[in-house]
Amino acid sequence: MRAPVALVAVLLAGSSAYAQTEPAISIRPFVFAAGEQFDAQTTFNAAFDRASQPLWGGGVQVTFRPGIFAEVSASRFRKTGQRAFVDGSQIFRLGIPLTATLTPIEVTGGYRFHLRRHPRLLPYVAAGVGSYRYEEVSGFAAAGENVDLRHTGYLGNGGIEVRLHRWIGLASDVQVTHVPGILGRAGISKDANENDLGGIAVRVKAVIGR
Amino acid sequence: MPSARLRIVFTTAAIAVLVLSGARGRGQAPSPQSGIVVDYSAPPAIDRGLAPDVSRSPDSPETTRRRTLRVEGAPSERMGASGARYLAGRVIVKFKDGVSAAAKAAALAAGAASASTRPSYADFDIISIDASADAEAAARALAARPDVEYAQASYRVRTQFTPNDTFYARQWNLPDIDMERAWDIQPQAGSAITVAVVDTGIAYTNVTMRYRARAFRVSGASYPALGDLTLPFVAATELGDSSRFVKPHDFIWDTDLPLDLDGHGTHVSGTIGQLTNNSTGTAGVAFNVKLMPVKVIDTEWDSIFGAPHEGTDDTVARGVRYAADNGANVINMSIGRDGPPAPVVEDAVKYAVGKGAFVAIAAGNGFEDGNPLQAIADIASRVKGAVAVGAIDRAHNRSYFSSTGAYVELAAPGGSFRGFGAEGGILQQTLDLNLVDTFELPPAAFRAPRFDALAYFYFIGTSQSTAHVSGLAAMLVQQGVTDPAAVEAALERFAIDPATRKPRGKVRDNEFGFGEISARDTLRGLGLAK
Repeated sequence: MRAPVALVAVLLAGSSAYAQTEPAISIRPFVFAAGEQFDAQTTFNAAFDRASQPLWGGGVQVTFRPGIFAEVSASRFRKTGQRAFVDGSQIFRLGIPLTATLTPIEVTGGYRFHLRRHPRLLPYVAAGVGSYRYEEVSGFAAAGENVDLRHTGYLGNGGIEVRLHRWIGLASDVQVTHVPGILGRAGISKDANENDLGGIAVRVKAVIGR
Repeated sequence: MPSARLRIVFTTAAIAVLVLSGARGRGQAPSPQSGIVVDYSAPPAIDRGLAPDVSRSPDSPETTRRRTLRVEGAPSERMGASGARYLAGRVIVKFKDGVSAAAKAAALAAGAASASTRPSYADFDIISIDASADAEAAARALAARPDVEYAQASYRVRTQFTPNDTFYARQWNLPDIDMERAWDIQPQAGSAITVAVVDTGIAYTNVTMRYRARAFRVSGASYPALGDLTLPFVAATELGDSSRFVKPHDFIWDTDLPLDLDGHGTHVSGTIGQLTNNSTGTAGVAFNVKLMPVKVIDTEWDSIFGAPHEGTDDTVARGVRYAADNGANVINMSIGRDGPPAPVVEDAVKYAVGKGAFVAIAAGNGFEDGNPLQAIADIASRVKGAVAVGAIDRAHNRSYFSSTGAYVELAAPGGSFRGFGAEGGILQQTLDLNLVDTFELPPAAFRAPRFDALAYFYFIGTSQSTAHVSGLAAMLVQQGVTDPAAVEAALERFAIDPATRKPRGKVRDNEFGFGEISARDTLRGLGLAK
């Protein structure tokens, strides 16, 4: 308990110095690549042979002095695997193509910490909500057998931004998402008793702006 | 048209000459053996189309009479305490590993056995006992010995079917399990897969045979010995050419020529893999699979012709082992019996599953006969990778004859004539039973059978339902699910409730098991969310 409190104290103490050079409002577009380890491991393993998958996206961040920011982003995961079924711990793929597309639109709000001794390093934390669209298209599907669902999820992230240049920053963070309501009602996810389309993602962001 | 007529006349005449030339031996010195190949060819098959009048049906007088057929000089059968029939004079024994020859001899001496033989494709011995001795009691005494793994009487095994006596031209059974959409998914329908049909043989080749027909009695009436008969056999045209059949073997006649003298095995094979989309006849489930004819069941003509072996537990066990050893991916057992357990068959089924073969076994047709436990089907409930298959009718109810019990694991169309007429049966090409079952005629009209004419017959039974499961299993194996336990899991996972037509979610009952197989759902599997 002592360590986190101390860390926050240090971060807040350091914020004022950098705040003097930060504009009152800054609009900062960004792009990112992420690798997400989905919670529905059996489900993703069955269809795609692995539960960690890449996402690509971008968005806009608006920062306010002294460190508050809001961010809107959109990203996308798309991959073709196979339909399958699961028997206990065994997975059997059936050779029928399946393409899954996940399109998250996420809105977050957070705080950037300004370190007095390391003004180029900006740790940050954020939390928010997202709208997650999931599409699943399979071979030999009859009407109504493909999937197109949208559901609200929740997320939180924390990371650090490195200012490489006055106008360019590079950030890396870890984002945790919880997306109920899409998996777990049918399909492999139901058999595997997995009902969360969220997971833990490691993101790398390129930010343009001050 | 005139040329077609001419061909029929010519063929009929040729066959008549062959039959008469064979029959002339009657009363003369008979040839030394029965079941001899005369020529590896035969006149072309006679296609008699749809057969509207077949005298075999589940509760018909003809069926009752068939059960009384006894051939002079044939091995005698006895009825055991459970009502199951077994061959007199023999017991099946499996000694534990490492038992010495001296210990075996001591066991045989204690059991008053005179000899022991180890047949091919067996890990058990057949021991001879006095024909008047109680084989069940002898088996119990042997089984109680510490050096014996199991011992059992040599119970008779029968086919599990009930043929129809009328006909219709529709195969309701294939749409019923959603086969059309399954064929969309897998148009090659199991071309790399071998299904062993452990049954009465298959009409799979053209050959001319000589048999010696012995006298017999049916319901007290005497039928004369027809003597030496030269009989042409034809391949079922709707099962495809000879390249389709692999490793044929006959454990009834000890040959590699498992000819069907009954029609059952051919009909079952049709449901598994009748040629499809060829503008002719009927369709089958996995219409490109290779078929392995393994004859383990003797029927009336085998008996009349003096086949050296009978369809008993040990014969079935050897047939199952043979199929597994020769590369069968799926083994269809549309056969069964009630009565005491069959450890020799259970061992064989486990052996086959262990070698990667999925096994489908008929759940039995004995519901209205007291619904006794079906000993062969019951094995499936203890073996992951083997299933017992019940039958449903056209209205998606349990077929009236389909046995029920804790061992039933799946259901498939087996048909019923009650309330449906002939269109409630399963239609396939087989031998023309009107020309085969001549022993059902009065003695004065009795004549030699013909195995060179084909027709389309409706059969009902768990034999037929089992064939659907075997066909679908073959397609699933072709799709890459090769583990027999996984095949069973998939078939059960995607089975539907026969009444609601909705997935059952692996809920089991004693009538339908986990439900009716659903071909398309099984082959298509699951997505992430649907």
